[in-house]
Amino acid sequence: MKYTLYPGCTIQSDQFGYEASVRETLPRLGVELVDMKGASCCGFPALSSVSKVGWHYLSARNLAIAEKMGHPLLPLCNGCHLSFVETMHFLEEDPELMNIVNGNLEKEGLRYGGKVKVVHLLEVLHDKVGAAKISSLVVKPLKGLKMASHPGCHAIRPSDLQKVDDAEDPQKLDALIRALGAETFDYPEKIDCCGSQLAVASGRTTLKIAGDKLKAVKSYGFDGLVTTCPFCFKMYDGRQRAIKGALKDNTLDVPVFYYTQLLGLALGSSPERLGLQMNMSPVDSLVERITE
Amino acid sequence: MAAGIDEREVKFISLMLSRAVGGMNAEVCDQCGKCSSACPVSKEIEGFNPRQMIGKVALGKNDELLKGDAIWTCTTCLKCRERCPEEISPYDVILILRNLAYRAGYNYPGGYDDFIQGVKESGYISRPQTVRTRDGGKLSREDLGLPEVEGPEDMERFREIVEMIVKAGKSR
Repeated sequence: MKYTLYPGCTIQSDQFGYEASVRETLPRLGVELVDMKGASCCGFPALSSVSKVGWHYLSARNLAIAEKMGHPLLPLCNGCHLSFVETMHFLEEDPELMNIVNGNLEKEGLRYGGKVKVVHLLEVLHDKVGAAKISSLVVKPLKGLKMASHPGCHAIRPSDLQKVDDAEDPQKLDALIRALGAETFDYPEKIDCCGSQLAVASGRTTLKIAGDKLKAVKSYGFDGLVTTCPFCFKMYDGRQRAIKGALKDNTLDVPVFYYTQLLGLALGSSPERLGLQMNMSPVDSLVERITE
Repeated sequence: MAAGIDEREVKFISLMLSRAVGGMNAEVCDQCGKCSSACPVSKEIEGFNPRQMIGKVALGKNDELLKGDAIWTCTTCLKCRERCPEEISPYDVILILRNLAYRAGYNYPGGYDDFIQGVKESGYISRPQTVRTRDGGKLSREDLGLPEVEGPEDMERFREIVEMIVKAGKSR
């Protein structure tokens, strides 16, 4: 299993806990990661709203580099993943757009031929590695912990363009959480949006949308929240203090983890190797419980 | 100035809008409201209503939408697209309206200029930062043993192409 790794702007700029935990854990599951040379932004959300052609050019540029490298492309960010999926769809559908994009890629010696496969981290972990194999490698089971699954919008929708998981009843992240020895169960807000993409237009509404979900997660008795999306993570973890302020609720403490951080702890990696010192939500007591 | 590109882009965007809503009329969109009932923003912002937006587009009242703030407050959660029984996608329509509003020079959130500037400068929206730890420390990619981030090899060439396509030189 060999994949071309595409961290994307958000993760490589400040979500080091995600990138570090991916690089720490995936090779231990037999997944080889190859770094890209000369990559760039995927175009979401910078250009998708203001220049559709620019968006598809940027997305196709990375797809073209990946195509040259010859392995499936693994974007870690839900936003980048959907961006690539949408671009592949629009380019296939519209030869004129394909010509404009390839005409510009040529200037850098690149060409998009539509031959590269794009995979989501949940597909690699659940469909390729498998929950059974992950479970067999666990040395520190997450016993007694109830973790809420939050796959994130762009991983599961729209179902006519991608089939990472069921759009209305996603279960792969749940199966992966259970593989670590933790419990999880469905809750009504599971497939709800974190609101992060509204931050550029209305910061207050963003905090309210994210806060409502954190409140729900807490009310169902979950010990924490698990995701694989950097935008969602930044909302629930990085902005948790701001959410508490906006909702005037000081008791809203929810530990938030990247799935690969929990995976790493279960496999026996040290919290530092998984970048857990950069989670801003109160994760300490759970990390201690798992590592002791 | 990128001769040709702009016209083609406008043509492409218009084509997308007509594809998305071209055949749309009162018979296609039943105004059932599944989109609005799924929408996380409708619950929070009065006046944001995908069902009404599609209604306006179907009636050709695009200008009202292009000049307003509503199109910019979609979270892109895609539930409206997923749940529409007529395969109309308010999400796609909203993105196309944003593109048209930007082209037409109407108001848009300034954050998009920063994103584009970042892409033109380094290839990415943002550059690697030093990140705060829970106990008040700071860590860089290097501290964590993460590889250095490399952008496009020929940054000059890349910037020229992006500028030409995006024509994002328009200042706020």
